[in-house]
Amino acid sequence: MKKLLALLAATIMTAALAQVDVDSLDPSGQTVTFWHQHDEPNRVDALDRFTADFNANNPYGITVEHLYQGGYGDIFRKMLPVLGTSSVPNLVVGYQNQTATYAVADGMVDMTPYVNSEKYGLTEEEKADFFQGIYQADVFPSFDNQRFGFPPNRSMEVIYYNIDWLEELRSAGLIDFDGAPSTPAEFEAAACAAVQQPFSGATSDTNVLGFEIDPDASNLASLTFAMGGDVFDYANNEYAYDSPEAIEAMTFMQDLFNQGCAGLATERYGDQTNFGAGTTLFTIGSTSGLPYYDSAVSEGAGHDWSVSVVPHVTAEPVQNLYGASVGIPAGKSPEANLAAWLFLKYYTSPEAQADWAVSSNYFPVRQSVAESMGDYFAANPTYEKAFSFLPYAKSEPPVPGYDFVRDEAAAAMVEIAEGADVEATLSRLDEFGDIELAAQSQ
Amino acid sequence: MQDTAPAPTSSPAARKRIRFKGEWLTGYLFILPATVLIGLFGLFPIVYAFYMSLYRWRVRQGPFVGLDNYQQLVGDWVGAASFIGGLLLVVVAHSLWIGGLRFASGWGRWGRLLGALTLLAAGIAISLGWDRLMTTGDRDYFASLVRTFYYGFISVPIQIALAITLASMLYQNIKGRDWFRMVFFLPYVTPAVAGGAVFRAIFSPREERFANQVMTDLGLPAQRWLYETEPVSELVVNYFITRFGGPGAELVNFTGFWAGPSQALLTIIIFGIWTYTGYNAVIFMAGLANIPKNLYEAAKIDGANGRQQFFHITVPMLSPVTFYLTVLGFIGTFQAFTQLYVMRSPATRDAVDTASLEIFDMFYLRNNFSMAAAQSIFLFVIILILTLYNQRILGRRRTS
Repeated sequence: MKKLLALLAATIMTAALAQVDVDSLDPSGQTVTFWHQHDEPNRVDALDRFTADFNANNPYGITVEHLYQGGYGDIFRKMLPVLGTSSVPNLVVGYQNQTATYAVADGMVDMTPYVNSEKYGLTEEEKADFFQGIYQADVFPSFDNQRFGFPPNRSMEVIYYNIDWLEELRSAGLIDFDGAPSTPAEFEAAACAAVQQPFSGATSDTNVLGFEIDPDASNLASLTFAMGGDVFDYANNEYAYDSPEAIEAMTFMQDLFNQGCAGLATERYGDQTNFGAGTTLFTIGSTSGLPYYDSAVSEGAGHDWSVSVVPHVTAEPVQNLYGASVGIPAGKSPEANLAAWLFLKYYTSPEAQADWAVSSNYFPVRQSVAESMGDYFAANPTYEKAFSFLPYAKSEPPVPGYDFVRDEAAAAMVEIAEGADVEATLSRLDEFGDIELAAQSQ
Repeated sequence: MQDTAPAPTSSPAARKRIRFKGEWLTGYLFILPATVLIGLFGLFPIVYAFYMSLYRWRVRQGPFVGLDNYQQLVGDWVGAASFIGGLLLVVVAHSLWIGGLRFASGWGRWGRLLGALTLLAAGIAISLGWDRLMTTGDRDYFASLVRTFYYGFISVPIQIALAITLASMLYQNIKGRDWFRMVFFLPYVTPAVAGGAVFRAIFSPREERFANQVMTDLGLPAQRWLYETEPVSELVVNYFITRFGGPGAELVNFTGFWAGPSQALLTIIIFGIWTYTGYNAVIFMAGLANIPKNLYEAAKIDGANGRQQFFHITVPMLSPVTFYLTVLGFIGTFQAFTQLYVMRSPATRDAVDTASLEIFDMFYLRNNFSMAAAQSIFLFVIILILTLYNQRILGRRRTS
């Protein structure tokens, strides 16, 4: 009987929440706290500007306070104990898999009614202005297509390469293609040629590598995408680390290691440092690292460099696009949720997005913003080049428990780099991921 | 008729009773803040962790499952009982042995024999229990307990030995004593994250980094340090095989408990020793100040040299401090988290994951709150037995 009553109460509550009439809400006088991971001065300055502007100009007297809460992991750990309580912030940054974990505990507000609200939401035109792949990334099919987040920015996994060194290898007849390698075969040829002929402008002659890679689940996913596969089977809701494409990707990586052409990054951002010093020809990393690569090269060998798509076997490149979105945790009143949404709407408006993209070096999420960034593109051609890869974007699985699977994936990459059997290692990882995924819903 | 008897407050017995009650109340009022604080932040979390461990709890509380989480953790109750029972038997064996020493007669010999047999039984119980736990229980967790064991049993004795030596040296009338005291204490107050960053740089696998430079200067091969997951024993033996074994010599591959810690873990142990030795030395120095000077004077008159004075006066007289630091050291290493967390990387895989890290991952990465709670309680029991063991052995030595 007790259970029946609880079920009835939950059903009524869910129905009430689902039918919240956003247009009739009044967000006046609400205070919004926004937990985020941005501590880089340019980004903090931009957020200061946004909140000051919003607080001064919104007609409802809403006050927004943005609070740095550590990295993504720190925020996730702070959120878990307060889920579903009034201690949650009004807005929180989170990767889709983290948001999915919150959602397992009914800890997130479905933003669909807010986004679709006639009075407070977005028009169809505005919705269409978003890059659709990015816009849809926060709609969770595994949670009845509820929207648990809204994207303010994205970044992408790309190959960083030393243009001058590639040119030297080409002049020496060690490689026969122009520009950056676009296929795994070209990539392998260049990476191994680099070990034979170090870069003339390098600041050091030790630890010369063709490719330096940080063991990381996103890198594993990027290489698998480029082989035409995925690390998750969405049709069957299970991991696909043992797919032929993932095996091909890791075999490719292992071959490079076996030939002495590749190595693991042995220090935090060590790959960046070595790239800057001219001792590593290729690295793989996020586009949000562009300014840091720029600094590393300026302080290092000063060579010409750029970014390219991950070498692929598919007709078109397939690029790993990622980035945290901002969601509204459950636990506050609908009015407070509306106030949070209004700030988010402002934060993703074309004006704020243009400022945010330039300040943060993230990609904007709206097409109209890109059109207005001509000057910035002109001043930052590498950014513009990376931005042009957006149409080839694909994302990693937005499933709960992926954080732990990511750690195991990184460990599997290390094992493979050290010579473990690729198929057996990935099969073990796949099994582990599936068990972990199943356990999340228990 | 009115009662003319004096009011009870005026009699000496009543006054005494009131004074006693007053003292009683004052005493309780004094300990109330500490009791509340310890109860709230010390005991309540333990009780709550136990409560959580009885439910299925992944982000949100699920149904009551009783001891299912413990069952899943240990796999087999016989193994767990054998292991925990074995640990407790060690304490019993020690008591029997010490009891036997008190009697010079035949009873004493029987007591010691019984103690020895109990110790043997304890060893067998621990070994068999452990084997079953590893086979049927959560292998990752029990492997992390082994690494915790290495971490504690290697770092604490070294910390204590170094600290007592340092303290004795700093207690001498040497020039710049205060400066040295400050320098040795500095690692303790250095934030673990900052210290960790420096140690990561020193023990980087890059050949040009400090630790590898030293190795190269000594004619030894550069090491992978924090990235090396192989046991140190295997690395050392293989080094000698490669160096002196001639071509074709087969390299060894050590596995299991007796292979010892990985090089990555050993590097973190060095970091731990660096952090806590200075702190321990300062505590030892406070202990040295309490040793009566006339003991040394008498020893000198009797012709004892510095070494003899150290081993026969300083070390025994410092045993209360040694006991205190050892107990705290073991509890600290079994709970150690920060140093390990900041030093680990994907490349180390699980080679440095001690029990605390395993529990942390279970909680925050796997979102399995109830299993993390069960693991915490199991670790708590082990720490409790270890503390009991320390108290029985070192505490008895201290009081004797």
